[in-house]
Amino acid sequence: METPRPEGEAPAPKQQTMIYICGECHMENEVKARDPIRCRECGYRIMYKKRTKRMIVFDAR
Amino acid sequence: MSSRPNYSNNKGNEADDIDPSKRKITVMPTEGGKEDETCKTFVFNKEDHTLGNSLRYVIMKNPDTQFCGYSIPHPSEDKINFRIQTYGKPAKDVLDKGLNDLNSICSHVLRTFETSVNDHKRRNQSTDVEMRENSVG
Amino acid sequence: MERIKEIRTRVELKEHGLENVHSTDFPGSYDGYDDTWSQEKFEKNFKVEIGRLTADELEFDMIGIDAAIANAFRRILLAEVPTMAIEKVHIYNNTSIIQDEVLAHRLGLIPIKADPRMFEYKQDAEAEPTDTDTIQFELKVKCTRNTHVKDATDPDDLYKNHKVMTSHMKWIPIGNQAQIFKEGEIRPVIDDILIAKLRPGQELDLKLFCVKGIGQDHAKFSPVATASYRLLPEITLLKPVTGKLAHKLKNCFTPGVIEIDNVNGESKARVAHPRKDTCSREVFRHDDLKDLVKLTRVRDHFIFSVESTGILPPEVLVSQAIQVLIAKVREVKRELDVYK
Repeated sequence: METPRPEGEAPAPKQQTMIYICGECHMENEVKARDPIRCRECGYRIMYKKRTKRMIVFDAR
Repeated sequence: MSSRPNYSNNKGNEADDIDPSKRKITVMPTEGGKEDETCKTFVFNKEDHTLGNSLRYVIMKNPDTQFCGYSIPHPSEDKINFRIQTYGKPAKDVLDKGLNDLNSICSHVLRTFETSVNDHKRRNQSTDVEMRENSVG
Repeated sequence: MERIKEIRTRVELKEHGLENVHSTDFPGSYDGYDDTWSQEKFEKNFKVEIGRLTADELEFDMIGIDAAIANAFRRILLAEVPTMAIEKVHIYNNTSIIQDEVLAHRLGLIPIKADPRMFEYKQDAEAEPTDTDTIQFELKVKCTRNTHVKDATDPDDLYKNHKVMTSHMKWIPIGNQAQIFKEGEIRPVIDDILIAKLRPGQELDLKLFCVKGIGQDHAKFSPVATASYRLLPEITLLKPVTGKLAHKLKNCFTPGVIEIDNVNGESKARVAHPRKDTCSREVFRHDDLKDLVKLTRVRDHFIFSVESTGILPPEVLVSQAIQVLIAKVREVKRELDVYK
């Protein structure tokens, strides 16, 4: 029985730059708000978000 | 959800004020007829075959017991119905004697087991020392 | 008379099933027998003989006790002797292929070498961990590529830290645990249990919290790999078995049970070590052998086999199990005295 209980920061990061991972070359790209989604290296247009930095608690059962 | 053994003892000993499901033992009420001290059904909470079968065996060895048996009313519920019928003695006394006898059995088993283990260790330790001496000398 | 003695003390193994399985020695069952419980008689007849004692395994005989109580000890060994095991996993980062919940499940099953008698049960699951009820570990591993390597295919050469083992788990003392326990005393029992495999760029950053529990709650808390018992087998040859038949008889049993002696030039079968027999009842499948042998088991002779997971030595586990039963009896007695 998992109990994911995230402890996140209250204000959602609106001005922060997010790092996304390209779907093809797996390079980390910095994308700001309203930026076109395009890998810097290979031009692939599908990006993945990184795993959350929040701590998650699981029951070892 | 996890059923951990509860080590907090009953304070005040007012058994009737405590919620029946928290009590270890309750007695099932006799339906119809008069109250008879020689026939009782005890309900043990948080118990299963471990205590039920061993206690049943010890109580059956008592010549005062006319009938002794236990059942688990539902496997999802952690309780047993323990029935004792005697030839004259109060059922509570027979239960008490059974618990005392089971206690003595376990204490004796523990003593005998620990003595055996210590003897075994001592015997084997001495052979280890002999082996070492033989190989060095 | 002999038959009554046999019914009282032996379980019979017949071709199609078992007979006389249940104990019948209760007061009044047999004329002329006094089966009332007598502590003196019990103490006189009761014996414990240790067969094998190693760091992980214990084989011993309990003679003169009934199945009800022997079984109670077995059940308690499996489910009610407490140990410490990982209960909560705080995941700060897991970029490995293994899913969070699968990883947490695997971590829960790792045996933790900590004496559970030094710890208490955690009364409230949500409370802060204290030094008497929780053990904390940290597992932080990052896999990187090995730079100075060419023409290598073996992952051991290509990557650094690609196998996450229990040796990577670091104990973080809480409160005054650092004073009570020495360095290296609290650790997983085995150092080379594989937890997960990583590739370069993947990392694990976890905090593990262990609490005390019993096997009844979750099997990870069970202190034994297994605990079992069997009854002492007894083989009686009803007629002398000689010649080829003797060799056939020998092959029906586990090796070592039946020995062949050379008597007057003829092979004669003799029961040598019935204890080794696994009671497969293979004799009953052969028409020429099935009437020559009687297979029984001694009803009050239990051969226990206890394998520990390494947390506690097996002889300590058996002592603990007996003490748990004593505690159960005392708890019921305490409540019963309230009623009186």
